[in-house]
Amino acid sequence: MPRQLLAAYPPPGPHFDEMLEAPFKPRAHWQRLFDHLVRTPSPRMRSTLQSVERQVYENGITYNVYADPQGVERPWELDVLPFILSPEEWAGIEAAIVQRATLLNRILADVYGPQSLLREGHLPPALIHGHAGFLRAAHGVPAPDGVHLHVYAADLARSPDGRWWVIADRTQAPSGTGYALENRLVISRAFPELFRDLKVQHLADFFRTLRDSLSHWAPNDDDAPRIVLLTPGPYNETYFEHAYLARYLGFPLVEGSDLTVRDGCVWLKTLSGLQRVHAILRRLDDDFCDPLELRSDSALGIPGLTEVARRGNVLIANALGSNLLESGALLGFLPGLSEHLLGEPLRMPSVATWWCGEPAALEEVIDGLDKLVIKAAFPQLRMTPVFGEDLGEARRNELVAAMRARPHDYVAQELVRLSQAPVWDREHPRRLEARSVGLRVYACASPNGYVVMPGGLTRVSSADDSRVLSMQRGGSSKDTWVLSHAPVSTFSLLRRSIGPQDLVRSGSNLSSRVVENLFWFGRYAERCDSTARLLRVALGRLIDDVPARHDAEWPAIVSLCRASQLLDDEVDALDDIDIEDALIAATLDEAVPRGLNAHLRHLYRVAFHLRERLSLDNWRTLNRLVQQLARHERRNGSLAEVLSLLDRTVVTLMTLAGFALDGMTRDQGWRFLSIGRRLERLQSMSQTIAHALAAARPGREADLDWLLEAADSIVTYRSRYMARPEWMPVLDLLVLDESNPRSISFQVLGLHDFLVRLAESFGPCDEGLFEPLIARLHALDAARDLQPGSAALPALLGDLQSLSYSLSDLLTMRFFSHVAQSQRSFAR
Amino acid sequence: MAVSTVTAVSYRVEHITHYEYTAPVTLSQQLLHLTPRNLPWQQCETHALKIDPQAAEYIERRDFFGNRIAQFAVRTAHRELVVLADSVVHLGPRWESLDIEGSPSWESVRDRLRDVTQAPLLDPGQFLFESPNVAISAELAGYAAASFPAGRALLAGTRDLMGRIHADFEFDAHATTVATPLSEVIAHRRGVCQDFAHLMIGCLRMLGLPARYVSGYLLTRPPPGMPRLVGADASHAWVSVFCPESGWVDFDPTNNLLPDLEHITVAWGRDFSDVTPMRGVILGGGTQELDVSVTVTPLGKATPAPGPGS
Repeated sequence: MPRQLLAAYPPPGPHFDEMLEAPFKPRAHWQRLFDHLVRTPSPRMRSTLQSVERQVYENGITYNVYADPQGVERPWELDVLPFILSPEEWAGIEAAIVQRATLLNRILADVYGPQSLLREGHLPPALIHGHAGFLRAAHGVPAPDGVHLHVYAADLARSPDGRWWVIADRTQAPSGTGYALENRLVISRAFPELFRDLKVQHLADFFRTLRDSLSHWAPNDDDAPRIVLLTPGPYNETYFEHAYLARYLGFPLVEGSDLTVRDGCVWLKTLSGLQRVHAILRRLDDDFCDPLELRSDSALGIPGLTEVARRGNVLIANALGSNLLESGALLGFLPGLSEHLLGEPLRMPSVATWWCGEPAALEEVIDGLDKLVIKAAFPQLRMTPVFGEDLGEARRNELVAAMRARPHDYVAQELVRLSQAPVWDREHPRRLEARSVGLRVYACASPNGYVVMPGGLTRVSSADDSRVLSMQRGGSSKDTWVLSHAPVSTFSLLRRSIGPQDLVRSGSNLSSRVVENLFWFGRYAERCDSTARLLRVALGRLIDDVPARHDAEWPAIVSLCRASQLLDDEVDALDDIDIEDALIAATLDEAVPRGLNAHLRHLYRVAFHLRERLSLDNWRTLNRLVQQLARHERRNGSLAEVLSLLDRTVVTLMTLAGFALDGMTRDQGWRFLSIGRRLERLQSMSQTIAHALAAARPGREADLDWLLEAADSIVTYRSRYMARPEWMPVLDLLVLDESNPRSISFQVLGLHDFLVRLAESFGPCDEGLFEPLIARLHALDAARDLQPGSAALPALLGDLQSLSYSLSDLLTMRFFSHVAQSQRSFAR
Repeated sequence: MAVSTVTAVSYRVEHITHYEYTAPVTLSQQLLHLTPRNLPWQQCETHALKIDPQAAEYIERRDFFGNRIAQFAVRTAHRELVVLADSVVHLGPRWESLDIEGSPSWESVRDRLRDVTQAPLLDPGQFLFESPNVAISAELAGYAAASFPAGRALLAGTRDLMGRIHADFEFDAHATTVATPLSEVIAHRRGVCQDFAHLMIGCLRMLGLPARYVSGYLLTRPPPGMPRLVGADASHAWVSVFCPESGWVDFDPTNNLLPDLEHITVAWGRDFSDVTPMRGVILGGGTQELDVSVTVTPLGKATPAPGPGS
């Protein structure tokens, strides 16, 4: 029933249609897919669609959209139908991309070297000197075998006559290869038989070539080269892809602060010290790479990196300064440069582009403005492209005046009428729609020349503006199938075999930053837990109108809330309404600095930076909790609602703790997370017990339920004693009982044990710190000391609190100090 | 322009940069532009750098503009960093003659640089564009216009622009920092020599004229009977404009004069960011306090002077 499928599909008109060569007649290489769609019953197609959506969600494929004020990650948009290219057509694209990458690399090598293209008039110097991407500090930096451009991408579009055109070149740190891989993973599963029968070319060989080539060109010091993937961090729009590619290629994912320069080399800061880095595959922009020599306001780079590259001690891919070629102004000069440098005509034309720096071009552009798109000649000018046809009289005059004043800042491009391809209509599961598409293709340098990834990222316009292809602006994507006549290589990087020598167990190569974040993840998770429990105890006492609450226990709870900064001094301890308001604020209001919501935000922030190490379940659980609290913050719920929220919070935090206990390997990273948890628990338990003891009044019967509740030990107590809580058994359970995971002894012995193990791996680290306190704990006498009025216990609790502070400092100095904030200075 | 009656002069320059930090600095990486260039009219006879605490790594090289750079790293924890640059420099007169009124019209210079049919002027061609500290703006073009009526000789217009900046803007050592944008300098009409240099460069570039930033020193104590120049106890900065017939010609908008025997050239670039005397990245340090002092002392006539420049 092809007619039903094509009911909403526009017939080929002014656009080239990728699928149909005539109404209802698919092109040969689309026929199989088309027949498949015609044959597939609706319910099955619906389940295929759902499975695609589910995989995108479950694999956590996301894309950060800058404009979104929440900074929320958006699920990656992926259409179920692949974009299909025939082997013959692909051969032409491949050859053109190899040629273009070769040409662009030659231009980079010249501009950052002898500059004869400028001297001999093949390239106007203004294109180089006016481009902020021309990094003077990178001039003369050696490039092994003259390769500056390791990874290259071109954005292609097809015009109505069926020809392909290059719209833009991506030469700095092209994005999308990781998304292309993920798209492949998902879509090949949606049509497994088709994928096999059509002999779709696989992508993995491309990544192996990239990996092998970087190893080949990395400076050699006998060891296998260490290659890292440098990311600007989790706030970057394509961070998902950085983490994904790092894992796929087997490179550590690092941020600038993980690396340092010393003795003319780059080093990775790890738990076990500095490890030499030989090559950096970067997703960080050129000028942000080195705050010492390049952009001084960059907090993301590695001070001194440029000098290391200058000495040839690190391979940077792409070479510093390669952003220079991302300029529309260059396009018009490429045909001439191709003839001059390669002695052959350019195989694939660029979309017609005029650089207004040439006086004749400027006049031509102004005359034909309605049919052109005006763009900045240099990326630093950050101008949104303007479509001439959209301009009113006034804006048009404004633009022309600006162009006449600084002609070299502008380029004009012809509008390419993008080709259209089918996308699946989500509303009507038996219907195809047409959308404009463009193809981003990738090449990487190898010792045998450039290699093109057989496939690419097909980008689909949003329904709103068929002229723009942008993931930032609501576009979507497709898997790209390049068909082949021959059997395809089924090599996969994910399935490469690992020898015994490759086994990694210890995690001592973890970067210091990851370890520090894990430590704080443990601390904040525990801090949220103790805060939520204390708030629940205090608010619970307000809801049960028991007259006795103003007896012994209540002042202890209030003073503990004050000490934990959940109540400030202004709040009247005798006014229940006042206290209730303040405690609800401490639960919900992010502005209360030591309140639950504020701690949760800290936890979330740390988790965000650890995302590639946290399981998806972990991440979703935390995400839900933060959103729950945010919803309540806006509503400002009643006491009962807040109590139920606190119940849920405590459960969620237990779930998170369970993930750490049950879902993480016991490597050094886990150890630091656990130290963080125990250290925090030691602090809060010492503080809680100390306040309970201080508020006890001799001769008066104590109600210690609250203390057991805050310490999550009420069930244990009841199962053991079947009686009202009394001081001695309660303190035994909370202080001395080594089997109670909430007790002081449990934390102290655990911390001691962790320190001993750290010392085994990393040499002495004050592992004896806790010994005297353990001795004092053991020396406590139940009859004498587990009572209010004993001097020994409060003194010990005080000392434990100060010790936990010094342990935190010690770990920071010893293992994390590398992450200290760097700052810039200028003297004039 | 009258040729100076003094034929040669020698100076000793001591430039001390002193940082104090409230917390220990565990790693300090610094890039220095403190070594005077050798030029047809200037010869740097000796140059010594003293770094305290001692640098763990130290290298010297040349930057893209041919300036001499030193780069060092200190790894011992410190709360104080002192860099002393000690140079002896000989200066001769720059010009045997310089015809300011007879220089080519400013439009002809602009058009020559834009001309794509002739062999490009590569060196001046790189100083025509926006740079990190010189943002282009319509205000700059507006301010510059009065000095460059149609057909005005390039150097005469430039001298006029220099005079107006000197008259309109007030020297105020506390008005700006290295981070103050040019737009603020224009709005408040005050600043220091770096600001005036950036301002003048911006004006010239808006007109399509090549202008570069020169960093250097001024004689600290003037000869008897001569006024003390402004900006003499710190590093100084001025402007150079390209004139096809004479080459680069320097102008000092802070003092409204053409530099000659009292200006020692250290380095040039597009703006301050290319030739910052000392820029660095430190780890730790808390709050930092900076003290810079420059002393330029004339030496006796014992040493032979270089000949006049081209």
